[in-house]
Amino acid sequence: MTRYTPAIVAFATAALVSGAAFAHAFLDHALPAVGATVAQPPTELTLWFTQALEMAFTGVEVTNAAGQRVDTGQVTLDPKDPQELHVPLRPLQPGEYKVTWHALSVDTHRTVGDFSFTVGR
Amino acid sequence: MTMTFRAALVPLALAAMLNIGTATNAFAHAVCGDRVFPATLVMDDPGVSDELSLPTITYLPIPAANGNPGGHSIDYGFEFDKTITEDLGFAINDDYFTQHGVGQPNLKGWNNLTLTLKDKFLCIEPLELMMSMGVIHEFGGTGSGLLRSAGVIDSVGSTAPTWYVGKGLGDYPIGMFRPFGLTGELGYQISDTPSVSPHEWDYSASLQYSMPYLAQHVKALDIPDFLNHLVPLVEVSMSSPDRGPTTGQIAPGLIYLGNTFQVGVEALIPANHATRQLQGTGFLVQFHLFTDDLAYNTPIGRPLFNRNLWESQ
Repeated sequence: MTRYTPAIVAFATAALVSGAAFAHAFLDHALPAVGATVAQPPTELTLWFTQALEMAFTGVEVTNAAGQRVDTGQVTLDPKDPQELHVPLRPLQPGEYKVTWHALSVDTHRTVGDFSFTVGR
Repeated sequence: MTMTFRAALVPLALAAMLNIGTATNAFAHAVCGDRVFPATLVMDDPGVSDELSLPTITYLPIPAANGNPGGHSIDYGFEFDKTITEDLGFAINDDYFTQHGVGQPNLKGWNNLTLTLKDKFLCIEPLELMMSMGVIHEFGGTGSGLLRSAGVIDSVGSTAPTWYVGKGLGDYPIGMFRPFGLTGELGYQISDTPSVSPHEWDYSASLQYSMPYLAQHVKALDIPDFLNHLVPLVEVSMSSPDRGPTTGQIAPGLIYLGNTFQVGVEALIPANHATRQLQGTGFLVQFHLFTDDLAYNTPIGRPLFNRNLWESQ
């Protein structure tokens, strides 16, 4: 095994530090945060992903407790950050909202996810 | 010494096979809907992917018994997983085994080569339910002659049809329970020569709690980001041969799930009295690379044929 050790270490190091490495795009964090209760109704939902996104195959829907969409349908990628999505929202009433997203990372991996946030009364 | 050399080696050989059996069963991670099943360390996960486990290091103390002073073994394993189509893949794995102490000459050498062909035939995303079927074949006679003659590795091959299942609890109504996931594996190992090495049932299960799932789908806690990458888990892996006692291990541990790699560490605790005769409590460490992310634009990181056997394209 000893003669393979330098190669193993080199490969592992390259894998960890390589700037060319991509991965599945998972949700890193959001504003309003996952599971959060906010006092003031937000006018926009922002999602940060772990990888850059292909906007043509990425989408977000926000629905209220009745299943009605409350986003404007105009999701945009941040011009300075290809991992950041902006989702404008219609005026929100107090209640729970569900966010459903699907994404395609630039390395063509498809991922999906959902979470909720609440606007307090 | 009151025992012959070969007789003294029998318990050591069984312990060594426990060690090797642990080290060679490291497989790929899998995604179904919201759920990411990480690459479990002792058993296989329910999916098919492009990945590389290098290395998997297993340390096991060997208890003193029958005049043998005890010692330890260290095993260095690797596994390469490759997709043929989106849902069909194969894995090649082997390991370099070393044994020290135990009052006998030190042993070292390669184990038999193992090839797995596996097909993921079910993924119901809303239920986070995934299933696969596979065939694991061990090529007898491909390992070290020294280990074979000492009885540490099988001199004959085997073939094991195996069923894999994974279920995330994302559809459970109580939020803090949703990060829980269960995986299972059931196989029947058919020996090439049953008179030499008996057939056996192999069965494993894992219980996982995914902190990434909690942060992404349930509740983002105000904690250091490092904690949001952890998956505490416990695996239980057992083998019941047609002849001889049932043995197995309980393996509690922790996986750090990164974007392009994961690191896992687990304790290896004997699961029953028969296993305690063969090994003490050891540990296992694994470094695992997701080649589908690291080399996605090369044949190493994507399916050789761009189609799914179960869906029209």
